[in-house]
Amino acid sequence: MLATVAKQLKSHPALIPLFVFIGGGAAMSMMYLARLGLRNPDVCWDRKNNPEPWQKLGPTDQYKFYAVNMDYSKLKKQGPDF
Amino acid sequence: MAHPSQLGFQDAASPVMEELLHFHDHALMIVFLISTLVLYIIVAMVSTKLTNKYILDSQEIEVIWTILPAFILILIALPSLRILYLMDEINDPHLTIKAMGHQWYWSYEYTDYEDLGFDSYMLPTQDLAPGQFRLLEADHRMVIPVESPIRVLVSAEDVLHSWAVPSLGVKMDAVPGRLNQTAFIASRPGVFYGQCSEICGANHSFMPIVVEAVPLQYFEKWSSLMLED
Repeated sequence: MLATVAKQLKSHPALIPLFVFIGGGAAMSMMYLARLGLRNPDVCWDRKNNPEPWQKLGPTDQYKFYAVNMDYSKLKKQGPDF
Repeated sequence: MAHPSQLGFQDAASPVMEELLHFHDHALMIVFLISTLVLYIIVAMVSTKLTNKYILDSQEIEVIWTILPAFILILIALPSLRILYLMDEINDPHLTIKAMGHQWYWSYEYTDYEDLGFDSYMLPTQDLAPGQFRLLEADHRMVIPVESPIRVLVSAEDVLHSWAVPSLGVKMDAVPGRLNQTAFIASRPGVFYGQCSEICGANHSFMPIVVEAVPLQYFEKWSSLMLED
């Protein structure tokens, strides 16, 4: 099937940008979903060794994808220890 | 507050709302440009006696009208995502206020230092003084110090409500049994109006939100006066 697509692309090269943008968009969405699944502290994969990752949040860690104005290295822990 | 026959947003009273306003201008300008182009093309197509029967396809124009819209969409998406993440920043609030929605009034609790709580009912139309705004004024305003980050914890005591103040760029649903957090900074002193934004029964349109931002010493005076009552 890929060979058919490649052959059609040779006679219609204008479709290459289309593949690039749609492919890039799909790749970016899948990468963000994977980041959410693996890095988000609300998600628990290993019930035996790491049952509640949301209890282990540090004050200087950045969990968001993009920090606009926030300097996370300056924050201090505000909650009680337990 | 909103003005009669107003077309755009209310003047921004918080930095986040300013960002939203400018982004809206940016996106709307792009939309106007595209719509003007399309309208021009439609009129040009429709108002000519010429007919073109011989062009079947063209690789060059296909490339242009694939790459250009993709580029325009990226130009819209990047500022939008930046504002989205900006709105989520933890900003070390100076004051935490709880806004509880009831049928059909709001109650505010300032429990950081002392136990201050009061209800905020809409002023009935027949009780308004000249110059006051119909269906927007409340008997007790939520007073806050100006230029301080404020955290508002929103919840409800009975049914769904929503705490919204458009000029501060704030809207947060009040869900019974759930605590929602939002934060804002009032950049200038003033009175900012909002209305309940989730249908909650007969008087859903008659439970407004009034936020009054004052300099810190007036806020301290107001809170000691309220505590005495």
